[in-house]
Amino acid sequence: MSRPLLELPLLELRGVRAAYDSVTVLHGVDLSVTAGQVVALLGPNGAGKTTTLRIAAGVHPVQSGRLLLAGRDMARAAPRDLARAGVCLIPEGRGVFPNLSIRDNLLMMTYTGRSREQIEELTFTRFPVLGMHASRPAGTLSGGEQQMLALARGLATDPAVLLLDELSMGLAPVVVSRLYEHVAEIARQGVAVLLVEQFAAAALSIADHAAVLVRGRVALQGHPDGALRAELSDLYLGSSR
Amino acid sequence: MTSAESRADRFARELSDLKISDPAAGHPRLWQRLGAAAMVAGIAAGVVAYLVSHRTTSSLTQGDAVTIGLGGVTLSVVGAAVFLRYSLTGFLRFWMARQSFELNMLAERVFSPGMLAKSDGRLDADTTRGLSRTDS
Repeated sequence: MSRPLLELPLLELRGVRAAYDSVTVLHGVDLSVTAGQVVALLGPNGAGKTTTLRIAAGVHPVQSGRLLLAGRDMARAAPRDLARAGVCLIPEGRGVFPNLSIRDNLLMMTYTGRSREQIEELTFTRFPVLGMHASRPAGTLSGGEQQMLALARGLATDPAVLLLDELSMGLAPVVVSRLYEHVAEIARQGVAVLLVEQFAAAALSIADHAAVLVRGRVALQGHPDGALRAELSDLYLGSSR
Repeated sequence: MTSAESRADRFARELSDLKISDPAAGHPRLWQRLGAAAMVAGIAAGVVAYLVSHRTTSSLTQGDAVTIGLGGVTLSVVGAAVFLRYSLTGFLRFWMARQSFELNMLAERVFSPGMLAKSDGRLDADTTRGLSRTDS
């Protein structure tokens, strides 16, 4: 008997191995995200976090293991097929067009079938500050505003699975916490969110589940409660016991 | 969480509706290389046929050389077509996306509410200046 859909993870990696040429960077990663859940993928530089996201978006090939979306093996699917179905990757560095205005950046998302008015209404309701500067080139916005624009562009695709890479990169803590409030709100609307972070505290504040990747292996995962935070601190800073 | 359910349901349905094309099955890079190899091999066959036909007085051998030469030309043309097909596809895809974006921008500018209100729904001379007529 098949399980009800909401129990079924929208995104699941099972024993995923991946490599760049002959260098294996992921050694059997297991991870799952259900609808409405925020999963934080933490770990030091070079642990394989971004590669994991790229695999989930279909951008990087799986060497072995399974990439399941709503229970269906998609390891061989082209990234455009996954994007069309509702997998959205917001890459590190935001991926906005700096020489185009906010309005034009949003206009680029009309390829999804939504009208310009719908996208602008959705964006400017959620991020009023973008509406106030709609004609400004995206490159002149602050880092936080650019990240909001990147999120807005992602949301314009009506994602079912949202993959966020280093949302907090180069941003002030107060801006980061505001952005994460938006992410939590997005998840509450039923989107499965997998976010990659180096700065654990910000991500854990909204995560329902956390996994720590070390040298391509999930070293630790569970609910982000006190015990996990303590183990995480041991993992990052060395054991104090 | 009705909306969550519906989005998740829709996601699953859209995935199952997708005719997933296996990128590995297409082997675009392999086809591109094969096309290039066929192009080079065809030219080489043509040159060999030319040399063979010039080093003999036997009309039978020359007939064989002509066949090899024609085969080489065919191989070269087919190889060039395959090579172009797989090397240009990626480039053209981005070019088309850019074209479609620029057309959208132009349409937005021409048919913006301000422009239309000013001309009571019709385009005035200022707006249409520089645009060529496509109807008769």
